[in-house]
Order: sequence, then structure tokens, then C-alpha cells
Amino acid sequence: MSLKIVGITACTAGIAHTYIVAEKIATAAQEAGHQCKMETQGTIGRQNELTAQDIAECDVVIVAHDIKVGGMERFAGKPVVDIPISTAMKSPKSLIATIEKKLNKK
Amino acid sequence: MGLRDILNEEIIDLSLKGTTKDEVLHELAGHLHSAGYIADVEEFVKDIYVREEEGITGMGNHIAIPHGKSSSVTRIGIAIGRTENEIEWESYDGQPVNLIFLFCVSDDSDFARNHMMLLAELAGKLGNDARVEMLQKVETKESLIEVLTSEEVEAAENSVADAEEFDESLISF
Repeated sequence: MSLKIVGITACTAGIAHTYIVAEKIATAAQEAGHQCKMETQGTIGRQNELTAQDIAECDVVIVAHDIKVGGMERFAGKPVVDIPISTAMKSPKSLIATIEKKLNKK
Repeated sequence: MGLRDILNEEIIDLSLKGTTKDEVLHELAGHLHSAGYIADVEEFVKDIYVREEEGITGMGNHIAIPHGKSSSVTRIGIAIGRTENEIEWESYDGQPVNLIFLFCVSDDSDFARNHMMLLAELAGKLGNDARVEMLQKVETKESLIEVLTSEEVEAAENSVADAEEFDESLISF
């Protein structure tokens, strides 16, 4: 089953972790055969911003953050995985694998 | 403007001599100072430690990404260094590091915004483990820049690996 995954990353300094983790999640998702779009919220503001259509079509939302992220209300009604940056940094592959497993059970 | 515009061979050093985190940070800060990126080495290093206190900058795979967010920064850039020996560093995988990317950014977030966007793009490149593996093997500054700026990298297997297994209880649906 190919999933449509969207997400947001935001780290404390907003300089590096935000972007590295976004890349790790997107790469892990794509290599597992899913579509993935990650919005970054760093010192330079929001980039690769999720559109209403991205969100409407997604199967799951991953929010990896150490600070408050903006626009959480956009995900109302969607399954949201809310984790610290460090978790996504350490376990991107098994994060995706676990999401697959949990969604399949639903 | 592209990624190459923030990469500068003057602040890349593939044979750092330091054997401790402090020595390596001073060595890289010295390069930044010589190349005109920062006004003061000690003040800049002090600001790096402020960030180090806030959380882990050892990414795993023997890479560290300390950030110098400092008022002593006069030009945005990234100093890159590789050491011969592994350096003790707090890291997500518990391993020491030998490849250090020192972010050199102003504490004024509106300063040189276009350069900040390039730095963000560069940081993203470090999220690909296959690319990082190639960076460990490069022998010249030129090829390091080549690997960092390339669009795609060929992965032998997967481009990301886990340092530890994801805790399933973190997902509640």
C-alpha cells in the first residue's frame, strides 16, 4: 500500500536539525514506496509549505518538533504522529514502517 | 545563486589537527576568522557553546553540526573539517565524530536571508546517509563540494538507516 505522507519539522535553533530530519523522513518514506512532502519551519520561516490539497489527500501526518509548530489546525481529522526531533533523527525507517503497520490494522 | 556560493575552500579543512571538540572548534573558528567570516574567535566559540548546551549536535554517522549563531558573524557560511582521529562528541548514535560542519550564522535572523536559505538546503543534504558515506571518502576539497552540491546520490541499499528502533507506543492511532 502506497501512502501519502505529509509532515512538519521544527527544531529549537531552526538552522540545521529541521532540514536534516525533513530529508530523513522524506527519504525513508520514498524508499519504502510512499509519497512524502515535508514542510520546514525554521529561522527562515515556512518552506515547502503544505497546501490544503496536500493535506486533504494525505493518509497520515508526521510532526517532528522541539518547539511549537504553526498551523496544526490544518490537520483536524487526520491521524497525526507527534514526536520529538531526536526520535525522527534516530529512527526514520522504523518510524515509517510502524506507521504502515498501524494504518494497516485500522 | 546556488549552493556553491556558500561553500568556500578557504574554510574547508580535510586535515584538522585537533584531538578534542574544543581544539577542533577553535581550529575551524580560526579558519572563519582568517577568511573574514567572523570578527572574533573567542566570542564566536563562546556562542557555539551556548547552542551546544541546548541539545545534541552529533547527528550520527560520525557527523557533527555545531551552530555558531553569533553577533560576531559578519558573513554567513559553513566551515567544514575532517579529523584524522575520532573526536568525543555528544551524538544521537553514541559514536564519536570526525566530520564537522560548523554553521556560521548571524544572531540577526533577517541578515543575509538568501544565504540562510542555501544553508538550510545544504543541511538537508546531510540527511542522506549515502551522501554522508561519500563525504567520508572524498580526498579533495573540490570533490567534497561536488558531493555536497550534487542533486542525487546513488545509494547501495537505503539512503537512511536507523540508529535505534522506533518506539511503537509513540503512535496512538
